[in-house]
Amino acid sequence: MASLGIIANPASGKDIRRLVSFATVIDNNEKVNIVKRVVLAAQAFGVDTVYFMPDTFQFGRVVEESLAREGVLTAEIRILDLLMEGNADDSTHAAECMEGLGVDCIVVLGGDGTSRAVAKGVGQTPIVPVSTGTNNVFPQMIEGTVVGMAAAAVAALPDPYKACVREKRIEVWVNGNMVDLALVDAVLTDDCFVGTKAIWDVDRIRTVVVTRCHPATIGFSAIAGSCQIIRDCDEGGFVLDVSPEGRRTKAAIAAGVVQDVGIANERVLKDGEWVRVTVDCAMMLALDGEREVKVVSGDDLQLRICRSGPWRVKPEEAIALHVFQK
Amino acid sequence: MKIDKEQIQDMYLRMRKIREFESKAQSLFAEGKIPGFVHLYLGEEAAAAGVCACLDDEDFITSTHRGHGHIIAKGGDLKYMMAELYGRETGYCKGKGGSMHIADRERGILGANGIVGAGHNIAVGAGLTCSYLNNGKVVVCFFGDASTNQGTFHESLNLASIWKLPVVFVCENNYYGISMSQGRHMSIKDIADRASAYGIPGIAVDGNDVLAVYEAASEAVARARKGHGPTLIECKTYRQRGHFEGDPGTYKPAKEQEEWLKKDPLPRLVNIMKETGFTDDEIAAIDNSVAAELAAAITFAEESPSPKVESTVEDVYSDIVEEVRVR
Repeated sequence: MASLGIIANPASGKDIRRLVSFATVIDNNEKVNIVKRVVLAAQAFGVDTVYFMPDTFQFGRVVEESLAREGVLTAEIRILDLLMEGNADDSTHAAECMEGLGVDCIVVLGGDGTSRAVAKGVGQTPIVPVSTGTNNVFPQMIEGTVVGMAAAAVAALPDPYKACVREKRIEVWVNGNMVDLALVDAVLTDDCFVGTKAIWDVDRIRTVVVTRCHPATIGFSAIAGSCQIIRDCDEGGFVLDVSPEGRRTKAAIAAGVVQDVGIANERVLKDGEWVRVTVDCAMMLALDGEREVKVVSGDDLQLRICRSGPWRVKPEEAIALHVFQK
Repeated sequence: MKIDKEQIQDMYLRMRKIREFESKAQSLFAEGKIPGFVHLYLGEEAAAAGVCACLDDEDFITSTHRGHGHIIAKGGDLKYMMAELYGRETGYCKGKGGSMHIADRERGILGANGIVGAGHNIAVGAGLTCSYLNNGKVVVCFFGDASTNQGTFHESLNLASIWKLPVVFVCENNYYGISMSQGRHMSIKDIADRASAYGIPGIAVDGNDVLAVYEAASEAVARARKGHGPTLIECKTYRQRGHFEGDPGTYKPAKEQEEWLKKDPLPRLVNIMKETGFTDDEIAAIDNSVAAELAAAITFAEESPSPKVESTVEDVYSDIVEEVRVR
């Protein structure tokens, strides 16, 4: 008996970055195609129950009807009985519910923001994040068939964590309370409202904190990546200030947008080391690319990196363990 | 994107005008003072206000049967609008158009339109003119979710795309075409997805957050003005009333209505204003100015005469005066 959860974000891949950059467009029907391949591969590898987050596009129903009509569906499809709010909380609640049901692995389709929402809802359940978003660092661009095989493989392993990495996360503390988290980056911006959520204007960025960075990534973590390479398996992270007077570097801050950025005060962060940020006016903290936390003058904003993020499946290792260690 | 206090105040003023005008139109219609049909824009104010705040007076808009909000947001005069709703000769169309046909050439308002999907082609025509004259003007085409099933929508996006016209297509997805929910008339959730078929950017925004709409629209308008072509923006919003006044909207689930009322764009903006330093007195001053302007508009309408019978065939495209006279 192996079970799989699928959280597919119907809103990913449609934000303003299609307008202010050259970001990928993935419509929901293409996500359906990916999910079908996930389900088919997972059931072939032994998964017999697939739970879906309910969503406005009804991915679960669409996939079930399509595969059943083709006569190729053997797994049982179950849609979680949750009230939809039509926002990121749906992913968090679905992840909590799936973990409560004892689902063996959760496949997450979306961008960094979707993975972040799921990370807020899971503790020990391994996740396979699949990129259908914009500037994705956390989820991988990976074929749905491989995703399904990897998820099923993890579900079947006696010790699933052998094929996983425990991810880092950035904890956001305001006035002594942890208010939110990020998986890849936390960016302090001069914007003082949520608006379209995405951030793209370097001139409005003050500080960047990242759990990982590499010059070959896309997004604000790429700025840190131009200073240092920090992988998911490395300890700690990196922090820098964006400053017009600072040292110039070049970074891919969005799809198709490689820009000169001035940086200052860059340094490596140790695990658990606090970064205290001066808040002298109303500002927004963007988490994994989306404006989320508003802070106002006088707030005590602190961030730190801890290895207490979700367990992320390493697909190739999971499948190899499953295939060769039987 | 930097949005200063004055810009926020300007958007609030536009939204408050629409809210109060529509609320008054609702009660005046119920009292029998406004003839014909009215399709209210209540709940969708952020879409029109956020988009029109990016436009100049010289830019153009096309509108729909639910057009009051667009016209107010583009600078339409409440006096002439109310007179038109009352059917008085001082109205925008001399009292002969009514709620669904208000136009104001001086403000670039190319007309509300009673035909679903008819504004798309007009917007493309205006866009072609702007492109041909190279005058730097932009056209915004407002339309609803169900109209994107019409051929006019697809023809228009195709032509605007191939000719790189300065048109911003703004879909106000309020989830209903009359009484039919979106899920019953199309098998996609995001109308923004339709843009990719025409090779243009398509984005979805929270249409009840005026600042989100403004951010998206200002980028799209800038893109159009630079000659980079059209954009499709889908504003996800909700029609708080029935399709028209008199429609009880029983097809809308009560829970859905309740959830959307919690996302009402006006209180959301008021909260943002307070967070960004507006005082209660500043907000009340705007509200009071709108109330005074609306009261004056109603007085103006009620004191205006009805059109004279002799004017029946004036201002029509066809020269049928002689024919009518003979009869």
